[in-house]
Amino acid sequence: MMMMMMRRISERATGFSNKKLILKSSAASLFHGESLDSSVSPVLIPGVHVFHCQDAVGIVAKLSDCIAAKGGNILGYDVFVPENNNVFYSRSEFIFDPVKWPRHQVGEDFQAIAQTYGAMNSVVRVPSIDPKYKIALLLSKQDHCLVEMLHRWQDGKLPVDITCVISNHERASNTHVMRFLERHGIPYHYVATTKDNKREDEILELVKDTDFLVLARYMQILSGNFLKGYGKDVINIHHGLLPSFKGGYPAKQAFDAGVKLIGATSHFVTEELDAGPIIEQMVESVSHRDNLRSFVQKSEDLEKKCLTKAIKSYCELRVLPYGTNKTVVF
Amino acid sequence: MIRRVSTTSSLSATAFGSFMKWSFQSSHFHGESLDSSVSPLLIPGVHVFHCPDVVGIVAKLSDCIAAKGGNILGYDVFVPENNNVFYSRSEFIFDPVKWPRSQMSEDFQTIARKFNAMSSVVRVPSLDPKYKIALLLSKQDHCLVEMLHKWQDGKLPVDITCVISNHERAPNTHIMRFLQRHGISYHYLPTTDQNKIEKEILELVKDTDFIVLARYMQVLSGNFLKGYGKDVINIHHGLLPSFKGRSPAKQAFDAGVKLIGATTHFVTEELDSGPIIEQMVERVSHRDNLRSFVQKSEDLEKKCLMKALKSYCELRVLPYGTLKTVVF
Repeated sequence: MMMMMMRRISERATGFSNKKLILKSSAASLFHGESLDSSVSPVLIPGVHVFHCQDAVGIVAKLSDCIAAKGGNILGYDVFVPENNNVFYSRSEFIFDPVKWPRHQVGEDFQAIAQTYGAMNSVVRVPSIDPKYKIALLLSKQDHCLVEMLHRWQDGKLPVDITCVISNHERASNTHVMRFLERHGIPYHYVATTKDNKREDEILELVKDTDFLVLARYMQILSGNFLKGYGKDVINIHHGLLPSFKGGYPAKQAFDAGVKLIGATSHFVTEELDAGPIIEQMVESVSHRDNLRSFVQKSEDLEKKCLTKAIKSYCELRVLPYGTNKTVVF
Repeated sequence: MIRRVSTTSSLSATAFGSFMKWSFQSSHFHGESLDSSVSPLLIPGVHVFHCPDVVGIVAKLSDCIAAKGGNILGYDVFVPENNNVFYSRSEFIFDPVKWPRSQMSEDFQTIARKFNAMSSVVRVPSLDPKYKIALLLSKQDHCLVEMLHKWQDGKLPVDITCVISNHERAPNTHIMRFLQRHGISYHYLPTTDQNKIEKEILELVKDTDFIVLARYMQVLSGNFLKGYGKDVINIHHGLLPSFKGRSPAKQAFDAGVKLIGATTHFVTEELDSGPIIEQMVERVSHRDNLRSFVQKSEDLEKKCLMKALKSYCELRVLPYGTLKTVVF
């Protein structure tokens, strides 16, 4: 699912017009501290490329040469080849001159290498040119995660376009969340679910044009049919340290179990409840002095941090599938 | 279980001999003047109390200490919400001439009876005999080695009566030479699927105050636990309740978690489910292979077990409900 998702991003990114390129690159030139005499200095903008293929000799040489040949300068490079496993992962951060190396050419050049190596995954992203990720946020009654994400989005710390918010709980129009969404023109869809009807078709219709979904304390289980139908990544925040305390009320489960550490887990959603590949986990200490209220409060603080960190990693192309139920997070 | 510890520590037959040895040390410890004919020798004491909650407990306990000239240096009280129980732990210094050890026990015992205490334990580390413990392990000995070294350094204030293992060890190994040097007996008791030789183990450990399972991989039956009747502390190399049972590091590795941990807990009939005393974690990532998962796990186990034992020996650990602990 992650692979499919990444390919779509790559495709979408290549079809971009030149107009915005000029606008954004002026922002980038200031960002890179270039001289104001733009007729002499090139304007360099950042790019990120992730690559996942069968391991072979020479991949790094090929990828780095591809970038250097077009005048790109690699600023960061992560390579990971697991033991006993003939796969190769890399993530490179580079800056380049989009005049010397036009955006569509970047896509094509990496695509050529991807074909050479039969890559499972090759995604390049130029944040200042490519459209932002379009996401939909789903939640039920608890909205602390949604609020955190909305505020970060407003602060520019979450570089996505929020297409809509979907909830199986109704919210009064004079609440903070609803006023916020209205101010920013983000539609809120109240999709009430029952035991027999999860209204997945309607949700699918609402989210079909998004790049990925975030379940920010959405307490309904999405079926295998939904996940197949959507076909792209769904990220969930579980307010427990998986694989402990799957399902409902993990804070209460933890409280009753007498643990000394509670946690939160961000993971990809699969058919099996709370069992998909883990992206990020965080913990905090608890003791006999904590009651259920403080367990829940600490849990909520962790959820916000953990979900935000996972989405940031995801948007920065740091998260890659590893085996059947693990992730590489560069 | 803590009640039994109380009974043991009130035995003061051997206490007087050690009193002579220790009071010299404690007078220096407390920075008293060298003119011992004028200054009293103050030694530390710890008291934990667990009873149904009512008004006036702290007043009574603190008065008991003050009336005998004791000075409270630290006091922890915990009364949980929605639960009418009282826990306290006090650290104080006192003059054993003014407040003899046997009198101290009686005084606290009186208060315990008055409040129908579930638990009242007083301990004077410099007088009372050290806890006698037995250590059980299987093949992995990193936890045992850590405990032995800390014990040698004086950081684990116990008497190790014996080491029991279902694995044989050659006499020229580090552990065996260490145990021999210190006169600690090593008992090789091989177990089979049918015979866990619990009777033999029980016989070897019956005079101990508690048992530590330092990577002992056999499951102790309910019969054994009832027969032994005292606390058994286990280190589980996983973050409970995740990854119970065998090879938790491998389970964690396969599950793709980003944090691994260790848990120290009291042993009950149910495997890896008793009240938790301490937990610790460390980060792992895709860059960790099974070897480094295991290595990080072992480092955590050592720290986690030592911390739990230290807390237990300092009377910081009390039962809370059926499944939990108060750890002051």
